[in-house]
Amino acid sequence: MNKLNQLIQEIDALTPMPAIANQLVEALNRDDCSAQDIAAIIQFDPSATANLLKACNSAYYGLSNPVESIKDAVSILGTDTLVELVLLKSSAETLSINQEGYGHHEGSMWRHAVSSAMIAKAISEKKQIGNKNTIFTAALLKDIGKTVLDRYVSGSFEKINTLVRDRGVSFREAEKKVLGIDHAELSALVAKQWNFSSRMVHMIRHHHLADPSVRDDLEIVIVYLSDCICMMMGIGLGADGLAYRFHADAIRSLDMSHDDIAMIIADFTVEMTELEDLLKLV
Amino acid sequence: MKKVVGVADMKASNDPGDTLITYSLGSCIGLVIYDPVAKAGGILHYMLPESSLDKAKAQKNPFMFADTGIPRLFKEVYKYEGKKNRMSIYVFGGAEILDQKGFFNIGKRNYLALKKIFFKNRVIADTEKVGGNVNRTVRLEVKTGDVYVKTSGEGEVKI
Repeated sequence: MNKLNQLIQEIDALTPMPAIANQLVEALNRDDCSAQDIAAIIQFDPSATANLLKACNSAYYGLSNPVESIKDAVSILGTDTLVELVLLKSSAETLSINQEGYGHHEGSMWRHAVSSAMIAKAISEKKQIGNKNTIFTAALLKDIGKTVLDRYVSGSFEKINTLVRDRGVSFREAEKKVLGIDHAELSALVAKQWNFSSRMVHMIRHHHLADPSVRDDLEIVIVYLSDCICMMMGIGLGADGLAYRFHADAIRSLDMSHDDIAMIIADFTVEMTELEDLLKLV
Repeated sequence: MKKVVGVADMKASNDPGDTLITYSLGSCIGLVIYDPVAKAGGILHYMLPESSLDKAKAQKNPFMFADTGIPRLFKEVYKYEGKKNRMSIYVFGGAEILDQKGFFNIGKRNYLALKKIFFKNRVIADTEKVGGNVNRTVRLEVKTGDVYVKTSGEGEVKI
């Protein structure tokens, strides 16, 4: 069996995102999507309903009256927050796994994924660019392929690290050179296998902007920038550190100044305490 | 006792049982100071160079910025009878993404902000492990003043 087939088999072994996550992202992408549509999708999934009601009634949201139905939850928290909660809940298990190759322990990759998703959404809202829910989801899932690739990275770590340390090669390029596939490609395969839209698969596939032709796709640039900001802030970094390429021109196309980025960092630093509460909640 | 210095945070101690540790410095700076006579020291983990970016945030959390955090770290260790001229000073972090050069380079700006403050106050760092594309975790043993750094892709070393 060749390596790609073997990797695909391992993707099958991952705990998949439940169908409901996909349905919700698709629904939010429709212009005519209403709060009722979102409630209707969620209420037919008993486990999602139970988890959401529990989350809504936790101290994190500080609601004075208990929420007892998904309909109430939608009207109190809004559709975006509910969908985010479902996505966070359903990706937590896979993204929290310890990874020896990438050096992720104690949920550091999960922390990176959630932070990146929150930052990406904040940039999308601030710049009024793209669909913030799609951007949130792509940023959350962009590194999911690392969970499959980890074992191979671990086995070839010295080779990969030598290329990164001594040759100025990025970690992604070194993965591709040594293993024949990189984590962005593999993340896209996972997203495809989980039936995400072709747009989502494309965004995840190109989140490092390695292909120059996607550097003017502002939704992907936002996902990329959120990853860079997390790296700069040191959130959930692994053995790959900050060894990825910086594409200043793509970021300039978002019309952001140095101070704009510094401000995002400052704002998110304040939100990090909230983030810790949210991570515990999920 | 292990005391974690979070992001945009500072802790100082003269308790010989304490270990101060700050995790995963990317472009942030981890500044460690220690007076071997007073046997007291501290770690500051700041994110950004200048508090002029957002004065309200700096007032609420001075440890977010170099210019408001660094003086506070020194003052905190002075409280334990620490003296500037006896201190060992270590600087870590300020890493950058590959090809980042000057553009949006928060790591370099964070480091330059520290150098500017040190120059004004005639402070010289004993050890600097800054830049590169790695993340670093730093700890200080208060009893001995021993400082350790763990770099991504490598093990932990004593400075």
